[in-house]
Amino acid sequence: MTRIVSPRLAAYAGLAAVGLLAGLALGRVELIALAAPFALAAVAAAAPARDPQIEATLVLDRERALESEDVHATLELLSPRGSDRVEILLPLPSELRTTADNPRAVALAPGVPRTIELPIRCERWGAFAVGPLLLRARDRLGFHSWEARLGGRAPLRVYPSVETLHALLPPLDTQVFVGNQVSRAKGEGIEFADVREWRPGDRMRRINWRASARRGELWVNEQHPERNTDVVLFLDTFIDVGSGGRGTLDLTVRAATSLAHRYLQRKDRVGLVSFGGFLSWLLPASGALQLYRIVDSLLQMDIVLSFAAKGVDVLPPRTLPPKALVLALTPLLDPRSAAALLDLRARGFDLVVIEVSPVPFVHPGKDELAQLSYRVWRLSRESLRARYEQAGVPVVEWLDGVPLNVPLEEVAAFRRYARPARA
Amino acid sequence: MPAFAGLVVGIGLVGALLLAVVLVRNTDEFLPWALVCLGVAYTVSLFVHGSAVDTGAPLVAAGMLLCGELAAWSLDARHAIAAEREVVLRRALALAALTLAGLGAAAAVIAFAASSFGGGLGWTVLGAVAAVAVVGLAAQLVRRTA
Repeated sequence: MTRIVSPRLAAYAGLAAVGLLAGLALGRVELIALAAPFALAAVAAAAPARDPQIEATLVLDRERALESEDVHATLELLSPRGSDRVEILLPLPSELRTTADNPRAVALAPGVPRTIELPIRCERWGAFAVGPLLLRARDRLGFHSWEARLGGRAPLRVYPSVETLHALLPPLDTQVFVGNQVSRAKGEGIEFADVREWRPGDRMRRINWRASARRGELWVNEQHPERNTDVVLFLDTFIDVGSGGRGTLDLTVRAATSLAHRYLQRKDRVGLVSFGGFLSWLLPASGALQLYRIVDSLLQMDIVLSFAAKGVDVLPPRTLPPKALVLALTPLLDPRSAAALLDLRARGFDLVVIEVSPVPFVHPGKDELAQLSYRVWRLSRESLRARYEQAGVPVVEWLDGVPLNVPLEEVAAFRRYARPARA
Repeated sequence: MPAFAGLVVGIGLVGALLLAVVLVRNTDEFLPWALVCLGVAYTVSLFVHGSAVDTGAPLVAAGMLLCGELAAWSLDARHAIAAEREVVLRRALALAALTLAGLGAAAAVIAFAASSFGGGLGWTVLGAVAAVAVVGLAAQLVRRTA
């Protein structure tokens, strides 16, 4: 521990010296008497200064939590020599908050461990390292103090809360594995699709007896098979616009978590592409493990400033499987991501753009020029949206505070009436 | 005499003002100077009242030490650290003990001065050596805390 001596100690010694010298010089014993308590305090404070040798451990009751949940931190302190006053501060990032006293001052008895419980409220998602503890032990009158960082770091992952989604966007094409999505193709399944004439090899249970009796020959039912789909969440992480803890990146991560959770529940394969200054991806896969992979990857997502020109060519081919639905979550602010999405559409991907609107976080200035700039900026965004729509890409604006169901429903409505033309 | 009274009050007010600055601005740089001002005001008043030994000096000394310690405690409390009752109690008891010990030391000095056996060159030399030792201690402490 680092020892710090209070400047008060030197000041008292100085006052005592001045008093003694003045008393001797002026021949007044009262000045000696005036100096005596300060000399006594300086000598008494200098004598028993011993390092309390505090040991501390910091343990969290779990490493993973959801937003708005409480995690309990247990601090255990032990000092073989004891300490009259130990000030403890557990530094917490702004996303975590404690309702208990932090910092606090406690007394430690010699050799007796002291346990302190500290409830931590997880207010926002993120990957954090809680600790180390900042400790400052003082002697009884505060003449000496010892400071140290103890207790190590305890990892804590706070997952974003998942929004309930009533309906998901069905991809235009399904994959070959069994899932919950009714395929447009005909085959073995539950959903009735059509009737056709019997062919050798058809199973008897598929015969539609009513249709056969009406037409005088055997007709069989056809069904739509239930298949899984591939969904790639394409996150634009070039720029974050926000204020007061909320922002486009925050909304993007929340939406991606909800979508990944819901699609994986349907046995679909979900992949992730973080397209920004730092490029990262997860190949499409299904299952609970993939959900953890995706959420862990989302927690570490951050804005990395980069001027490098990037296109979709930099992505490994398997990241974007054929017939996959590419769900892009973007604030439509960086031309690189805007161009990459148009490139994806040109390559035939089933693309949907959910525009995480930065508009609520941008305030037009008060002067005329600033307001004009704001209007031009809004118009340029409209123009970009029009370019996507011309390419047959549904673009919906998602505003902060609006449930994610709303833009998804808008996309579904768009796709009901405007489907991409096929060659 | 009224002129000296004004001087004493003036120096005392400067000391009080410095103390107020220390407490309001949470800076401990002026704390020794506030105590020095109070000490100077007391010294001036001693000379105004004549050559008789002031038997109230131990109380003034203990009061000044208490003033300094309470100001330092206030400065320590500026960080809004929630302290346990035991922690506060321990410091209060230590402060009371220090003040009483200081009062005792100052009273002992006055008592020694009033006693008959304290005359001669030897005592003067002893006093000078003690003063030099305290100055040396102060210099060493200043060097360590700097």
